[in-house]
Amino acid sequence: MNNPYQPIPAIILKTMDETPNIRTFVLKPEREIPFLAGQFVELTVPGHGEAPFTPSSSHFMRDTFEMTIMKVGRATGALFDLKPGDVVGARGPFGTPYPLERFAGKDIYIVGGGVGLAPLRALFLALIHESDKYGRFFLRYGARTPNDIVYRHLLPEWQKIPKVDIDLSVDVSDEKWMKKVGVVTCLMDDIPCDEKKSIAVVCGPPIMMKFVNQRLLDAGFQPENIYLSMETNMSCGVGQCRHCRLGPYLTCKDGPVLTWAQIKDIENPFV
Amino acid sequence: MAEHLLPKSSVHRWLSKLLARYAVYVPLEREKQVHWHRLEPGDLETEPDIIAPAQRRIRASEPVKSFMFQPRQRVGAFPDPLQPTEPERRVLLGIKDCDLVPLKVHDKILGEGEFKDPFYLAQRKNTILVAADCPVPEQSCFCNLLGLTPFAQTGADAALSIVDGDWLFEVEESGQELIDTAPELFSRLTGETSEVVKRDEERKTAVATLNMINARPLNPDLPGAIAARLHDEAFWRKHAETCVECFGCLMGCPTCYCFLLYDQAKENGLDRTRAWDACYEAAYARVGGGANPRAEFIKRFANRFDCKWNQFKRDHGMYACSGCGRCFKACMGKIDIRNVLGEL
Repeated sequence: MNNPYQPIPAIILKTMDETPNIRTFVLKPEREIPFLAGQFVELTVPGHGEAPFTPSSSHFMRDTFEMTIMKVGRATGALFDLKPGDVVGARGPFGTPYPLERFAGKDIYIVGGGVGLAPLRALFLALIHESDKYGRFFLRYGARTPNDIVYRHLLPEWQKIPKVDIDLSVDVSDEKWMKKVGVVTCLMDDIPCDEKKSIAVVCGPPIMMKFVNQRLLDAGFQPENIYLSMETNMSCGVGQCRHCRLGPYLTCKDGPVLTWAQIKDIENPFV
Repeated sequence: MAEHLLPKSSVHRWLSKLLARYAVYVPLEREKQVHWHRLEPGDLETEPDIIAPAQRRIRASEPVKSFMFQPRQRVGAFPDPLQPTEPERRVLLGIKDCDLVPLKVHDKILGEGEFKDPFYLAQRKNTILVAADCPVPEQSCFCNLLGLTPFAQTGADAALSIVDGDWLFEVEESGQELIDTAPELFSRLTGETSEVVKRDEERKTAVATLNMINARPLNPDLPGAIAARLHDEAFWRKHAETCVECFGCLMGCPTCYCFLLYDQAKENGLDRTRAWDACYEAAYARVGGGANPRAEFIKRFANRFDCKWNQFKRDHGMYACSGCGRCFKACMGKIDIRNVLGEL
C-alpha cells in the first residue's frame, strides 16, 4: 500500500536568489508530483526536518517544479545550504486546489505580500495559460523595500500579457523607486473591477491578509469570493495529525486556501 | 454470531493452543493495577489463577490503541524508502468497550480517509480483538455518559463473559478461528441457557452501577455548548487551574490520535518516526516563522474539549471520548473532566 509519510527523492536542478533571504529552487522529483495551483508539497531537508511549501511554477509543467522559499527557521535554514545537484525529499501533492471552475468568466484580483507572491505565481501562470476562460487579471503586490521584491525580472514580462494589470508598492523606498510607497492596501483605493462579481485571491503575512481582507470586504467583495492562503502548522499533510487545525478545518486537507466565508466565524484566524 | 461455552477446566488448555498459533496478550493485575501482558507458555503454570480475575477488572492502564497506533512507529526512511514488514498475528484477549469503541476513531482517521496509514492497517489486520465484559465498574468509569456499555456491542471478533468461572464467548465469523484452534473444548449454546441468562443479569447490574456512579446525563448538545463557551476564558481557566501541563491525560487517552512526524539523521539520510503528540504542548500549533495561534495554555486547554466533544462529533458522528477515566486517574492536578463536561 502507498505510504503517505514516505518522501521521494527530488534533485535540486538550479537555484535563483530572489532577495537576500528568498530563493527559488528548481526541483526534479523522481516521479511526477501532479499538483494543481493552490496545493502544496512537503519538502524534506534530510537530517533537518520537513516543511510545507506551495509550488510557484505552473501546474501545466510538472516534470520539474519550482518553489520560492524564505529562510525563516531550521528546515529552511538548512535548505539554503544546499546546492544544485543535492537531493531533498518531497511528498504530495496535498490540500485542495483553487476551484478554477468558479473563477471562469470573472475578473481576478490578486493581492500578494512579500514571499506570498510565490504560491500566487502558480495560480497566475495557470490562469494566463487559459486566459480566454477568465476576465481581466489584476495583480497588486507589496514588499518591504525594492530589494525585497520577488520575481523582479518576471514582473515586467507579465505586465505585457494582454488583460494583465500590475501595480506595486514598497513600505520603504529608495531613490530609484518610482511607484507607490506604503503597505499593499495603498494600491487598493481604486479597485478597477466589479467587486460584487470578481474573485479576490490573497497571500502574504497574516497581518497583511487581515487588512487586505477587510479592505476587500469594505469594497464589496463577497466573502465566498475572497480566497486566503492560511498559514498553520501543516505537518502530516494528509489530514491526520491535527497540528494544522483551524476551527472546523484542517488546513492541510480543506486548505491551505480557504475563503473568508469559511473562516469568518473563527476567532482571530490571522495569527 | 454464535455462542460457545468453554468450561473453566479447559481454559488453560485452550490458551496453550492459542499460544501455539498467535502472540496472545491478556490483562494481568500487577500491584493492584491492570496491565497488558504478553502471555508466555510458562505463565499458565506459574500464574494460572490470576488470568481469569483480571478479565473481570476494568480496562488496563495502557490504552489498546497502542497495539495498533504505536507510541513510536518508524514510518519512513530516505533516500531508500522503508519496506513495511508483516506484523505477527496476535490476539488481544480482554478488551473493554471503552477501548474497543476508540478503535473506530483511529479507523476513521488512519484507516478510512483518502490517505491511509499502512502501518496502522497492517497491525489492525493482524490483530484479533476479543472483548470482555466489565462487571465491576469503578468510580472513575463514565462510559455510560458517552453511550457506551460495560460490555462490547460491536467491533470485536469475539466477546468474553465469565459466568461462574466458565468462559462464555459470543463469536463473530471473523473470530471463529479462535474456536477452531480447539473445537473439542467448546460446546455450542443455543437459546436462553442458564449461562446466557446469568450473563445478561450481570450486564444489567453493571449498567445500573454505572448509572449510580454517574447519575446526571451530559448536556445532549455538548458540541453546541462547547462552541458557545469556546472563548469564555474564565470558564476554562477555572477548570484548568491545577493543570501542570504534564500531558498524562493525553498520553493515556484511548482516542487521542494526534501525532508528530519527526526525522532523525542517519548516515546519508534519515529515519522518519510517527510519535504520539499532545495538543497541550506549547509548540504544537506553532509555524516555522514563529506565529502560534494557541500560544496561551488556556486556548490549548479549551481546544482539547473542542476537538474531542465538538469537532469530532460534528465530523464523524461520535465523541472522541469513551469515558474510560484514564485522563483523570493520571491527572496530578485532579482535574475530573466529568466536572468540566457536567458544567457545559
